[in-house]
Amino acid sequence: MLVALAVIIPMLVPLNLPVDITNPVKNVYNKIESLSEGSIVLVSTDYDPGSEAELYPATEAVIEHCFRKNLRIYMMGLWPAGSELGNIALTRIAQSYNKRYGVDYINVGYRPGGQVMLLCLGRNFGDVIRVDYQGTPIDSLPLGAAVKSAKDISLVMTFSAGDPGILHWIIYFHARYGVPICGATTAIMAPQQYPYMSSGQLTGLLGGLKGAAEYEALVNKKGRGLRGMDSQSIVHLLLIGFIALGNVILIYQRKKE
Amino acid sequence: MINTIGIWIAAVLTLAIYSFLYKDNPFYKIAENIFVGVSAGYWAVVLWYDFAWPNLFEPLFYRGQWYNIFPVFIGLLMFAPLIPKISWMIRIPLTFTMGISMALFITQIVQGDIFPQLQATFLPLKSVSVFTTFSNVLIILGVIFTLIYFYFSKEHIGPLGIGAKIGIWFMMISFGASFGYTIMARVSLFIGRVYFLMHNWLGVI
Repeated sequence: MLVALAVIIPMLVPLNLPVDITNPVKNVYNKIESLSEGSIVLVSTDYDPGSEAELYPATEAVIEHCFRKNLRIYMMGLWPAGSELGNIALTRIAQSYNKRYGVDYINVGYRPGGQVMLLCLGRNFGDVIRVDYQGTPIDSLPLGAAVKSAKDISLVMTFSAGDPGILHWIIYFHARYGVPICGATTAIMAPQQYPYMSSGQLTGLLGGLKGAAEYEALVNKKGRGLRGMDSQSIVHLLLIGFIALGNVILIYQRKKE
Repeated sequence: MINTIGIWIAAVLTLAIYSFLYKDNPFYKIAENIFVGVSAGYWAVVLWYDFAWPNLFEPLFYRGQWYNIFPVFIGLLMFAPLIPKISWMIRIPLTFTMGISMALFITQIVQGDIFPQLQATFLPLKSVSVFTTFSNVLIILGVIFTLIYFYFSKEHIGPLGIGAKIGIWFMMISFGASFGYTIMARVSLFIGRVYFLMHNWLGVI
């Protein structure tokens, strides 16, 4: 009940607690900033509704940044529902920036096959992708025809909730084809990605809802990430209090015995 | 109109699932069964439209790729144990699967983990800031002591025992970080649902 109140009250009465920008998030932002106009960013929405709360705000913030920079977006998904969720954000934001489908952005939908598919995709997109998510032949769309292999991609931005996901993009698109990889992952997965960042295999990372909130702050767009941060902070304080209280009670009981 | 109905269904099902926090009840059971049924139906459609049709039936019947029949045959051999006389034939698809998996995982581990991660531990200790030197020393010691913990060919006593204990500390800190992130993830999911109920459904924020 206390946790529920700690979530609901800050939503009704926002505290606007400050959000610090961490280096992994700044790296994603700087990477996108460094791309020249017209560069192609492959956005892969590798999650399902179970992780929507954490990854959808990050998806919106990154797409917004890409369109603001006039980058072209090539969207796909390694999870079936991911490409549908990504498409909601993509079409909505594309409309607000007057972007044209097929020219400035494209969605080729869900691509099954995991790592085997990624291996073939990097070599030749045509082997794997013949139509977009609506069944339109890929070569009839200018952006679809422009992407032949991994060499045509300037950055892969994956929104990943598990397997297949960020690890496979790192292994098959970075290690094999040298494409820079940035990612947004669920908070549970985030600690596992830090070794890849320190080795340079991963350029930047948005970890969970906090990562999304930081990115929203960077692109100056108040979305679900920033709105949820007050609740997140208050619940964390509450849980720290519970842990401290539990330990005090334990120490007291041990002394009593 | 359709959107409003969808929001109401999602809101009612969300509340039905959370009602389990009080106790197991019929509303929770209904929501749980709907979830199982919808998931099964959804995956059946995905498997047909995204796997079977574009990779097998469409090339086989409409593009004349008759040789697609071979993987179908190999796949069907998975059911060979149902007929005792030909049960040995399951070895064919299993061998094929094992071969492919081994090739993929060896590449994945060597190319993605072992070499790049090993390379990442060769860090400079000079000509960098004091903080970077400290971080680099910490990474190098963390790798060495954790590896010592996983060295099982000698009993963990003496210097080896001390190294293994320090390795445990490094791992405990890592587990703590993972646990913290796990809590954050669970809270984020709850925030997502509460936001949906208050914003999309009730419209109070």
